[in-house]
Amino acid sequence: MSVGFWEILALLLLVGSGIAVVRLQNAVHAALALIANFLVVAGVYVALEARFVAMIQIIVYAGAIVVLFLFVIMLLSAANANVGQDLMPRLPWVAGLGALGLAGVLVLAVSRFQPPASPPGLNGGLPQALGPLLYDPEKWLFALLAVGFLLLVATVAAVVLVEPERIIAATGHPAHPRRSDQPNPPQAEQKDEKAVVKR
Amino acid sequence: MIWLMASALMFSIGAYGALTRRTAILVFLSIELMLNAAALSLISFSRLTGSLDAQVVVLFIIAIAAAEVAVGLGLIVAIFRRRETTSVDELRQLRG
Repeated sequence: MSVGFWEILALLLLVGSGIAVVRLQNAVHAALALIANFLVVAGVYVALEARFVAMIQIIVYAGAIVVLFLFVIMLLSAANANVGQDLMPRLPWVAGLGALGLAGVLVLAVSRFQPPASPPGLNGGLPQALGPLLYDPEKWLFALLAVGFLLLVATVAAVVLVEPERIIAATGHPAHPRRSDQPNPPQAEQKDEKAVVKR
Repeated sequence: MIWLMASALMFSIGAYGALTRRTAILVFLSIELMLNAAALSLISFSRLTGSLDAQVVVLFIIAIAAAEVAVGLGLIVAIFRRRETTSVDELRQLRG
């Protein structure tokens, strides 16, 4: 694999947008830098004969996941990264040294990898090549079904987590008692009855 | 081979962000960067060894990342509703 102009440009873009993700002080800007990083990675996937994965990367990662992040950042008005007080002012230096050490070890590890001389082709990583693997009962079919079930469970969990009022109304007691309610439980019970009556 | 090094650098940058960010959402954002670096290394190993199985694993990584984001952001919203903050320094009730 030759290292030409585009490889160097993509490497610089990957590292630059990654640093922007971890250093920008506005959370919205950091999320947008993450979108840029994902789009560059999708381009690299196309160059590496993984076209279907590249499309999924754009649709799911850059399209759905980061939009969810942006939505939550704006919902919580949590755009400023400088919240609270800095309890460990020297942490960035220590973390930077640790990250440099980690990068050194990882680069050393991957530079010792010896690929086979002439690997077989990947058919461009198109769905025609991936589908038979994905639905083969002896390869990945059961993992696929397990991931589908996991997505269902995660959806139910997300709905349950952000809607505590409805759970109180349905079960008659709070699944997560509020902190201010704990010292005087009778008041909390009264509130629950009101919720049930309202329903 | 250059993509393996790019993946190593992205993973280290993400680890730095996860260690230094003070907002739960931004820690989560850095973890997404690390997940993406792992997926990039899998894709380049798939190209180097000529095996399509790694691309299937990357599809699973993307699906699991979607599930993780749904649950994680739900947790962050629930914590914010009760505590009015998502600073990871102020969420220390579990400290012994």
